Amino acid sequence: MPVGMLLQLSWRNIWRHRRRNAILLSAIAIAVAGVMLLNTMMRGMQQDLMNTAIENLTGHVKVLDPGYLDDPGIERGFEVADGWQSALPDHVRGWAMRIRVPAVVTSERETRGIQLVGVDPARESISFLGDAAVSGQRLSGPGDSRLLIGGLLAEALDTAAGRRLVLVTQGADGRTREAGFRIAGVYRAEIAGLEKAFVFTGLGALQRLLGTDEITEISIRLDGDEFEAATTAGLAGSFRDQDVMSWRQLEPQAASMVEVSDITIYILFVIVMGALTFGLVNTLVTAVMERLRELGMLRAIGMRPRVVVAQVVVESSAIMAMGVTTGLTMAAGIFALVADGIDLTAFDDSLASFGMRPTFVPVFDFRDVVLVAVLSLILGAISSFYPARRAVKIKPLEALRR
Amino acid sequence: MLIAAAGTAARPAAEVTAQSLIEGALDLTRGQASYTEMTMTIQRPGWKRTLSLTAWTQGREDALIRFTAPPKDAGTATLKKGERMWTYAPKIGREIRLPSSMMSQQWAGSDFSYNDLSRTDKYLRYYDFEIVHAEERDGHTVYTLDLIPHDDAPVVWGKETLVLRDDYVTLSQTFYDQELEPVKRMETLEVGDLGGRTIAMAMRMQSVEKAGSWTEIRYLAADFDADVDATLFTTFALRGR
Repeated sequence: MPVGMLLQLSWRNIWRHRRRNAILLSAIAIAVAGVMLLNTMMRGMQQDLMNTAIENLTGHVKVLDPGYLDDPGIERGFEVADGWQSALPDHVRGWAMRIRVPAVVTSERETRGIQLVGVDPARESISFLGDAAVSGQRLSGPGDSRLLIGGLLAEALDTAAGRRLVLVTQGADGRTREAGFRIAGVYRAEIAGLEKAFVFTGLGALQRLLGTDEITEISIRLDGDEFEAATTAGLAGSFRDQDVMSWRQLEPQAASMVEVSDITIYILFVIVMGALTFGLVNTLVTAVMERLRELGMLRAIGMRPRVVVAQVVVESSAIMAMGVTTGLTMAAGIFALVADGIDLTAFDDSLASFGMRPTFVPVFDFRDVVLVAVLSLILGAISSFYPARRAVKIKPLEALRR
Repeated sequence: MLIAAAGTAARPAAEVTAQSLIEGALDLTRGQASYTEMTMTIQRPGWKRTLSLTAWTQGREDALIRFTAPPKDAGTATLKKGERMWTYAPKIGREIRLPSSMMSQQWAGSDFSYNDLSRTDKYLRYYDFEIVHAEERDGHTVYTLDLIPHDDAPVVWGKETLVLRDDYVTLSQTFYDQELEPVKRMETLEVGDLGGRTIAMAMRMQSVEKAGSWTEIRYLAADFDADVDATLFTTFALRGR
């Protein structure tokens, strides 16, 4: 039997019950659209979590002294040989050398423990500092010995741009360094916790205060997470005495949340589509039972069981394919409306505690589209197995006697 | 007459400078070595307590302060040696090195910070000072000094004013924030003779913003040329006995 005729038969069967098939088709379409949109949101959340973790002065890859994480301080600093950048592979968006040491900051009225970070402001486009809003002035360069402090810290210390703070930290010789610093500006971060944690000053200025020419970290931002493994491996060769770590190791909580949401996406898809499968099976079985006489007749005049099976499978796949296409189109339409981001400022506080931003931007991943389409078609084919078996089991004689 | 007196005082004799006044005030209660006994009264809204303590100093850098009463606090001691500071609590049975970040925090729950206790010569190092006012009072010339910390000084205050008599007795000291609003003020309640010197016998440190909270220190006995054993300023001696 020619394939063309088979397709024609299936196609006509679908159109024989327009209303029933339309309902099934819209159920599939809505489910696919829903799963797809949910998917973009999960991907958005995932992306957001990852970016937040990376911009949180981590970068995709970071070079640290092996003891630094257990005991952060300038005594865990290291010198960087000139020309180390040559070890960087392609796809590097930027890198920054920093000193990051614990310090205590004191105003006239309050005292707080913070992380004092010496930066070259021009290189910090790779971290949240690059696009943080600053009232007052930004740091002018690595030699700027003024401070950039977070808004919440400024409130806690009851201070403001232009005033002075006293910082106490440990110098490279192990002795206490204590000095007054003027506040250049006050930054606002999307993640409020950062404002309390980090106080910035010029890298060179901090090196002078601590009496060192070392740094404590190099942070490297890549064009995408997929280049992380190669970069980590590439740098490990040139920093033999240091640890080259990925953001997954440095931000394990964010990394595991990203992984969990990956799994959640698949579980959700399987649940929703699994439920739909029963609907599909039901419709197909009904269609087969209605056509008992017709199928019996076809068998009697010599249609092979294989062809009967093929006919049901084609029917099922066609419904599924139309449903998926409609669903994906719907999803794309809705996605276009929300692609600029959903404002969640009303829930700001609780989201921030998960390390998320107040504006939520869904992300459309083409691989997920392919995955949904392929998995749906496979499900469609599998679910046609039972109705097809029923169709094959029809005995031509019995069917014709009805 | 009064105006004339004030006028002459406003142009102090050549040897009286802000520097000499501050150095004199610093050395007045220190000497080469000193031994003092005092009580400290802490007043808070709702409660008040008095502690007794003994202090030894040597030079401008070393000091040992030990509480002697009440029994709950007796034996607790603080040692300052150069820039470093330790505290010892008998209940824990070991000395703890105080991070210098604690130097600006309250000492023993009082209104004094560790820094207030150990003034050393930081005024000479970190401040610009000048005599802004001088007047005759009770037979003494009383000088008002403005102390302005250098920009990079480890001092949070915007300004301090110090009121000193010509015999170096501190009458009051006020700490201003960087908007030049007063934050806390120390006032001398009583001037008297002790250990062969005329000193501020009782002082009260009071927060300007929180009325009803203050700490008072009163000298009971003092010897400003005491024979103090140098081994006293060790962490071993901190444990006492």
